[in-house]
Amino acid sequence: ADTTLRISTWLPPTHGINTEIFAGLIGMMEEATDGQVSGELVFGLAPPPAQMDLIQDGAADMAIIFHGYQPGRFIGTKLIELPGYEGNAEAASVAYWRVHTQHLGKLGEHRGVKLVALNTHGPGQIHTSKDVATLADLNGLKTRIGGGVAGDVGAALGLVGINVPAPKVYETLESGAADAVAMNVGERVGFKLNEVAKNLYDMPGGLYRGSFAIIMSQETFDSLPADVQAALDEKVFGEPASRMAGAAWDKSDMIAYEATRGTEGAKIVEASAEDQAAFAAIAAEVTAKVLAELDAAGVDAQAAYDMVKAEMAAN
Amino acid sequence: MTASLIGFGAVLALILLRVPIAFAMGFVGMVGFMTETSFRASISMVARLIIDTSQDYGLSVVPLFILMGLFVNKGGISRELYAASNAFLGHLRGGLAMATIVACGGFAAISGSSLATAATMAKVAMPEMRRFGYSDSLSTASIAAGGTLGILIPPSVILVIYGLLTETSIGKLFVAGIVPGMLGILLYLCAVRWTVWRNPAAGPAGERVPLRGRLAALREVWAVMLLFFLVIGGLYGLFDVPPLNINFSPTEAAGMGAMGAFLIALARRRLTLKDTLEVLLETSITAASLFAVLIGAWIFSNFVNIAGLPTALSDLITTYELRPWQVMAVILAIYIALGCVFESLSMLLLTVPIFFPLVTGLGYDPIWFGIVVVVVTEISLITPPVGLNVFVLKGVVGDVTTGTIFRGVTPFWMVDIIRLALLLAVPALALYLPGQM
Amino acid sequence: MMKRVLSLSVWLPGLLASAALFVLMVMTFADVLLRSIFNAPIEVAADLTRLLMAVMVFSVMPVLSGRNAHVSVDLLDGPFHRLRLSRWRDAAVCLFCGIILFWPASRVYDLAERSRSYGDVMEYLRLPLHYVGWFIALLTLVTAVVLVVRGVLLLVAPRLAGSAS
Ligand code: NA
Ligand code: NA
Repeated sequence: ADTTLRISTWLPPTHGINTEIFAGLIGMMEEATDGQVSGELVFGLAPPPAQMDLIQDGAADMAIIFHGYQPGRFIGTKLIELPGYEGNAEAASVAYWRVHTQHLGKLGEHRGVKLVALNTHGPGQIHTSKDVATLADLNGLKTRIGGGVAGDVGAALGLVGINVPAPKVYETLESGAADAVAMNVGERVGFKLNEVAKNLYDMPGGLYRGSFAIIMSQETFDSLPADVQAALDEKVFGEPASRMAGAAWDKSDMIAYEATRGTEGAKIVEASAEDQAAFAAIAAEVTAKVLAELDAAGVDAQAAYDMVKAEMAAN
Repeated sequence: MTASLIGFGAVLALILLRVPIAFAMGFVGMVGFMTETSFRASISMVARLIIDTSQDYGLSVVPLFILMGLFVNKGGISRELYAASNAFLGHLRGGLAMATIVACGGFAAISGSSLATAATMAKVAMPEMRRFGYSDSLSTASIAAGGTLGILIPPSVILVIYGLLTETSIGKLFVAGIVPGMLGILLYLCAVRWTVWRNPAAGPAGERVPLRGRLAALREVWAVMLLFFLVIGGLYGLFDVPPLNINFSPTEAAGMGAMGAFLIALARRRLTLKDTLEVLLETSITAASLFAVLIGAWIFSNFVNIAGLPTALSDLITTYELRPWQVMAVILAIYIALGCVFESLSMLLLTVPIFFPLVTGLGYDPIWFGIVVVVVTEISLITPPVGLNVFVLKGVVGDVTTGTIFRGVTPFWMVDIIRLALLLAVPALALYLPGQM
Repeated sequence: MMKRVLSLSVWLPGLLASAALFVLMVMTFADVLLRSIFNAPIEVAADLTRLLMAVMVFSVMPVLSGRNAHVSVDLLDGPFHRLRLSRWRDAAVCLFCGIILFWPASRVYDLAERSRSYGDVMEYLRLPLHYVGWFIALLTLVTAVVLVVRGVLLLVAPRLAGSAS
């Protein structure tokens, strides 16, 4: 390849973001540019919140960021984190890109870098070490849960928030310092939750979703030949890459569901109809709150919300 | 590969010119990273690491474990530990040296650092051994070697840093260190016996303490036992039973231990406000110097990482079709060689980011490798010409030559190699206990 | 007067670091007990831990550097001493370390400003992150200045450099 992009990743080598999403993205770039642009992973350059700085200053060419790790910086991205959307990560990621193009982009929250793809992980669920049967059983559980939308939902459910960084999840659960963790199902494998959080309380559509962006150095992009830029913009960046990333999250969910079913003692508890209805009320409250925040930031929040719903239903 | 090797050489040269390790690694890493990217990129990377490392939640255990050791020490614990082990072992030939080893092991259970263990025990054990006519060589060597146990028997700053670098469970690493630590005590006792068998004059027998005196001495060490039980029991979840229901993560165990030590020292009325301030300031300074080294090491490892050293190394293995055990043998040889010159922390920081992916990729257990790394690090502390524990002894005792200490250390060094071989042959020595968690 | 300022400049950061460390210890202990017994963890505990550590580490960084207490290897001290080069070497090392710190210090400030423009805050504490950045930048700068001053003193007035440490 004429250009090998340096892709900074803060996740362990075996994580799906590396093996599926970045590998997929490299494949797409190579194909679109006839092998002129490729990529290689660089592991552990800096912690997650530092990634955007690394890209802006050129320490790496590309990276993935989790918006929840930079509280205060991203508000528009909360739209996709809301509970109550029906559909998998692929549908959500495609809808995410489209609603960003139409509504969220004008907030300029990714200013300073080139946005390559947006995506969400699969529906976020609660994984517990204690037995749970109903939504009410979650009340009072000491739970490691992120901030933003997930935090709002957790508070409404009566979860007691334990705030530790992701790498500490296993030891925190294992030691009993936490009873539960909120994560997408796919993470059950990497975080070995089948050992320390055997029960999966499964709410259709999830309690929240996590929002990611793949970003690229604008300088690096501008330095590429015009035809290569055009090829990347048309065939890879934007919706195609977002769709691919969403599909990769779905795949990781599927693998984790399989693994959980195949693990002795691990249990998947489906939320009952009553619990789903009870949660819908909570979801509506959280949604109203977040939409108000978006309105205040200058987005036509209701229109954007309706668009995501419609896009995901159509997908 | 070439760039990385030049980088290593430059770091070594700067370190020998007495440039602080943090600055040597940071500077070379910064310049190296610059050659691979740009000035702006490199300085930004450095600045981000300065910001993020100082706020790393997982690193909070470093100051707290240091604090725990210092508080306990203010409570007069080192003297009591030595008195208790002396009551049981002192009457044997070489008994005072054996008591030193056991007391070092006990102190290691509340101290996270080998240097602190050696320095503390030197003040207590050295005058006693001199009083009974022990040879300088045996007395200093037993303290220098016994002190190395500080980083293997939990808690351990080195294991914490290994756990952070490799995202391995710190709780499991701690528990994994217990059996090899005990084995270390046992083998060091053998080394003492061997020394006095060769030269009976090196360690004459002391006074025999009657049973009542022994029990009385034992009662004085309850604080150490309590704290060790608190930290390790907490890791095992022993207190997570009604009506207590107290559980804490390994990260929090440090805070619990420090607070426990503080309360014990207070209860014994051995802690004035001035002492407390001194201990807090000393801990802050030690911790900050460790943070500085960590930041420097991270900058340097980013350079060798981006310069492609890890890939080059695994390519090397593929080209020469090396088997896993051959790779492990090469790695250990490198460690022993590096151990001649490097100090424990810098050795760990320089090597683990490079060797860890290699070793786990070959199928070795990350916990086991962590213990192996700590054992070779312990060995480095007493390997000439730069053996930090030996220097600590020289610093505290004064009127002995490092040559005398290094000579006395030889049998201890040999049994360390035996322990390393046992650990390689029987990984269960390290892995059995954490497997029960 | 000068002496007073000097002693205050050593004591104040030391006291700040000590206080941060003590609070960190007590908070961890309290968090564990509150969580285990009353199911009421301190929600801002993790954010506070990060903040307190930054305060502790960077408050003592100038003290640490002024006292020449960084981890270093003294393998060649003997030869340097015999050749009467120790002072020159120490001065060079101090100046070198101090000077190379200026760039990271100013970049930490730039990054803090950038963080301010994005509105970054701590998750639960809601404390704007650029305050932490400013603090780190300032103390890194002070550390650099301390090192340079120490280096210069070693060259021109070695006795003063000795008493300052
Ligand atoms: Na220890
Ligand atoms: Na050595």
